[in-house]
Amino acid sequence: MLTRQNLITYLVALFIILTLNFFLPRMMPGNPIIAIYGDVAVVQMSPELEAELTERFSLDQSLGNQFISYWTALFQGDLGYSYAYNAPVTEVIFGRLPWTLLLAGLALIVSTTLGILLGIESGWRRGRRLDRSLLSGMVAISGFPDFLLGLLLLLLFAVNLQLLPLFGAENAYSGLSGFQRLMDIAKHLLLPLVTLVLARVGGDYLLTRNAMIGELKEPYILLARAKGLKQGTIRYRHAGRNSLLPIMTRTSILLGLMVTGVLFVEVVFSYPGIGFTTYEALTYRDYPLLQGLLLVSTFCVLTANFIADLLYSRIDPRVNYAH
Amino acid sequence: MLKIEELKVSLGGERVLQGINLEVQPGECIAVIGESGAGKTTLGLSIMGLLNGNISGKIYLGNTEILALSEEEIRRIRWNRVAMAFQNAQNRLNPTHRILDQVVEPAIAHRYNNKVRAIQRAGEILKEAGLASAKFHEYPHQLSAGEQQRVLIAMALINDPEILILDEPISSLDASSRIEMITFLKRAIADRTVLVMTHDISTAARLTSKVATLYGGRIVELGPTDAVLLHPRHPYTRALLRSYPNMTTTKDLQGIKGRIDRQTAGCAFNPRCTQTISICQKQVPPLVKHNRWLVACHRGGIIPALYVDKLSKSFGRLKAVDGVSLTLEHGETLALVGQSGSGKTTLARMVAGILKPDKGYIQLESRKSEQKGKDYHRTVQLVFQNPGEALSHRLTVIESVREPLEIQGIGTKVERDKIARRVIEEVELPSIDKFLDEYPHHLSGGELQRVNIARALVLNPQVLIADEPTAFLDSSIQAKVLKLLMNLQENRGLSMLFITHDIAVARKISDRIAVMQKGKIVEEGSTSHVITNPSHSYTKELLNAAAELHSEGKDETADHDSK
Amino acid sequence: MHIDPKREVVQSKGGRIGMALLLVVFLLAIFAPLLSAYEPLTQTTQIFAAPSWNHPLGTNHVGQDIWSQLVYAARTSLLVGLLVAVLSTTLSALFGTSAALIGGAYDRIVMRLVDAFIIIPIIILLILLSLYFNPDLSGGSLIGIKVSIIIAVAGISLYAVRNLGWVGIFIVSPLIALVLLSYDIIPSTGGLIIILSLLCWQGGARVVRAQALSLKENTYISATRGFGASIWYIMRRHIIPDLGPILVADFVFCVRRAVFLQAGLAFIGIGDPNIVSWGSMISDAREWIFLDVWRWWLLPAGIALSVTIVAITLIGYALEPALDPRLRGEISAQN
Repeated sequence: MLTRQNLITYLVALFIILTLNFFLPRMMPGNPIIAIYGDVAVVQMSPELEAELTERFSLDQSLGNQFISYWTALFQGDLGYSYAYNAPVTEVIFGRLPWTLLLAGLALIVSTTLGILLGIESGWRRGRRLDRSLLSGMVAISGFPDFLLGLLLLLLFAVNLQLLPLFGAENAYSGLSGFQRLMDIAKHLLLPLVTLVLARVGGDYLLTRNAMIGELKEPYILLARAKGLKQGTIRYRHAGRNSLLPIMTRTSILLGLMVTGVLFVEVVFSYPGIGFTTYEALTYRDYPLLQGLLLVSTFCVLTANFIADLLYSRIDPRVNYAH
Repeated sequence: MLKIEELKVSLGGERVLQGINLEVQPGECIAVIGESGAGKTTLGLSIMGLLNGNISGKIYLGNTEILALSEEEIRRIRWNRVAMAFQNAQNRLNPTHRILDQVVEPAIAHRYNNKVRAIQRAGEILKEAGLASAKFHEYPHQLSAGEQQRVLIAMALINDPEILILDEPISSLDASSRIEMITFLKRAIADRTVLVMTHDISTAARLTSKVATLYGGRIVELGPTDAVLLHPRHPYTRALLRSYPNMTTTKDLQGIKGRIDRQTAGCAFNPRCTQTISICQKQVPPLVKHNRWLVACHRGGIIPALYVDKLSKSFGRLKAVDGVSLTLEHGETLALVGQSGSGKTTLARMVAGILKPDKGYIQLESRKSEQKGKDYHRTVQLVFQNPGEALSHRLTVIESVREPLEIQGIGTKVERDKIARRVIEEVELPSIDKFLDEYPHHLSGGELQRVNIARALVLNPQVLIADEPTAFLDSSIQAKVLKLLMNLQENRGLSMLFITHDIAVARKISDRIAVMQKGKIVEEGSTSHVITNPSHSYTKELLNAAAELHSEGKDETADHDSK
Repeated sequence: MHIDPKREVVQSKGGRIGMALLLVVFLLAIFAPLLSAYEPLTQTTQIFAAPSWNHPLGTNHVGQDIWSQLVYAARTSLLVGLLVAVLSTTLSALFGTSAALIGGAYDRIVMRLVDAFIIIPIIILLILLSLYFNPDLSGGSLIGIKVSIIIAVAGISLYAVRNLGWVGIFIVSPLIALVLLSYDIIPSTGGLIIILSLLCWQGGARVVRAQALSLKENTYISATRGFGASIWYIMRRHIIPDLGPILVADFVFCVRRAVFLQAGLAFIGIGDPNIVSWGSMISDAREWIFLDVWRWWLLPAGIALSVTIVAITLIGYALEPALDPRLRGEISAQN
């Protein structure tokens, strides 16, 4: 639910990140530009570039002035310059963001839907064969970290069976367009998507199953049966629908984590999204890019949470009274 | 229309219904009353085919045998031919569905192809049930308990079922809503076959034409509502009525002794029954017609404990008792009310076997008996008016209480002592030696009377005659002793003949009253009836003179107490 | 609410399996030197050797014995997992109960901070922080770390033993054994442990606060206040002991999360490269997935990691009915 509390929380989170971004590098001893860009970068930088950056971010001036120019730059949408990619940070990030959103968004939709359906069916048949096998299966899978799952799938399908591509989001040099391009993207998406779904589905499944078990004990279920409704109706319209509340909570959290939660999978599949970019930034010690990534992803999280809050009470009227 | 044959249901290893036989004619409205846990809801659920436990027997809905149907077949019957208005509970209505949607749902599922028509019908019936249309689109938690109950009932009616089962339709309502609900229900049940499950007897009284009492998983009484409630034939029904606070009965509430025995091979009420005989423990009594309606009792319902037939006694030319006939039923308290000189004490002594009647006889249960002989005195005992005089001043407390046992030659000395001590504790006296060795002149009036009562109980009598037991006591002690007598009756299952001049006391403790004047019984009937609708003028006099706490009656009140 | 965590775990079949698996991993970790013939980091010239009697799982790309790496890596995962959980649970308990008991502005501020940190994406923050503060800390700060770890471990040990009986001993003794045996990796992983703890305690704090709030309403707390007790006394004597089941559950979830995070971070290269962990093994093995060597390199490391996480998860699930009684019983839905 969107409340004043939540808004304050979001502002606090934003503030923390921005402050950290500002103060961390400047707390290190030595030349600020080394701190912000890392010694490796500074060594490679041309003197003109170094002078320009110093001027733009007032690095040779007092902390107060630096603060002002930091915020000014922020509001102008200037997040700094990524020397590793040789482009402004904003350009790098927003060029890669759509791929992540595609992968993460699809993964979220598929894993949540699958988790809910399986959870409902499992909860309905608690203790019976389907339930027991699904439950053990889900618990077993949930023990595998997503990067491991990805690696195993990659190994099986890409390396050994050579059915699917090894890396990337699409075959960049093929010059495909239209439907063929779509198919190419889909092929590249398949393994990372399956990895993410396998890694996530257990959580939604268990939550739904537990909620389902609880709901089936409620008096309105007996009434629904007495009304002579079909079993499917009772299972979905009555019990299933009321089991969604914990899922909403989890989904809104996952929505927020969407951008950053795919990091490991992107790394395994070299999928050019935000996560992979982070990994590369880490490898190249590209501090501004990293800071920009932190900022952008936090912002995404906050936006996602905000949207989730707005949609909350529409789904389940009990939410308004839960507080 | 609805026929239940030998329905047996076990839930979780426990036998809830032990063999229900019930037939309901089309258009009949029958109540099933019983306490919580008796199996009323289980019965309702069985008729709907909703039970998960072990079921055997047959349930006929018209020609269809419900328990033999497949899940899909019975699903189509549910809420179509038979519907149940559930008892309201938290989350009985789906908390995330709007009211109108929930009511429309079964209509569309079964009867209405046209959604618009279904919604219309739902709206109509909700309005009839008294729900404001503004509430139709709200969620259950936004409605009060009363409104939720209306929704549940309206929902049950929407498909116009042949059979309607109402489970506690008004229990969750507050007083003002109840009246409205009863009015609505009366309209709703007209021309329908209805089963009302309730523990609330007044609901049964207001809505139904027949009533069945459910006890121990069986129906123990089944008859026309008005008649059964006025004059129940099964001891459990009677006890139920006695423990139910209402504006009709005047007697103080009483519970039932003992606890239910579900494991027995015989009658489940047996351990709590005052008139049990050996077959009651061995065999389940069948539900058959005794007199005017069906009762499940080996003895045919409540039988008389004591029957007095045209008893007469004269002292010289004074006819003290003139042709008195009385029935004292098992387990009841009959008050004999009359002024001094009416002959009540004489009658008491005759019944106690102390005085020989000139004419007439006394019958114990169904046997005619001589009022002599040790057997008789073991069954009938008398508690005298004046405790001080009733006890020998030579005997200590314990000796007085032991005396009847010694006379009857019961048990060893040690056993007699034990029995005596136990009974003394029963009448709430200390059984420490210091007290037991006291002589009567050291005791207060209240203590003396308790010793008296103890002495009368030590032989375990079936009938206790209390002759003005509180006449010589102070008012505060009076209350205690009266309560003691009522407790003793409840715990031991005594049939009590209570003799008093005070009709106000009689009103509080008796099931029936007999008014005596000049040796004759002038009026007799159930207490509540006699008090509210006296027919004889003498009764009316007594009532007028009785103690009241209004300003006009002050002087009379003072007079009465000092007696 | 009188729930007995140890009973819950023992009674559930999943819980028993989890405990058994975890025990195996513990034993591997503790007896690592006895079980392996080689030092994990010793490089030999035999690279990519197939499994043999000498090298039960063969060797890797620089000739290191994979089996030794596997069992020593168990120490890393368990150490990090347990210590992070210890510190994190302690912080959750402290902040959660104090926020509940003190209330007012303190409560509001703490809760806003907690919620904010829950929202912030941890991975990137971790990456940044680990770049700025290299995980291998040396010098003065080392003492601070050691002291705080010792205090936290001591605190939790006392609590566990006093309140949880033999389960407490079960948790505590391997922990202490591990800490002692893994003394050498504490300096480098210490920083990581501290940072992870600082970012993991917030989730538990919310739950603890909620529970403490409801406990606070109990009449016996008011009575204690009436005797003049201070907030700290109430916290220590009455609230924290009753938080038992929640803290145990929180502890278990923390261990799982920390093991996962450490492995993930090692996978992307964060952490001391001289420390062997399953994550770094998987990362190294990744480069060579075209060769057959994955069968005895990538797979065992992956399975070891997964088995450990599954074991912890099972124990966690066994504890869930303790917190939500609706999940008990074996009633099938379809009747």
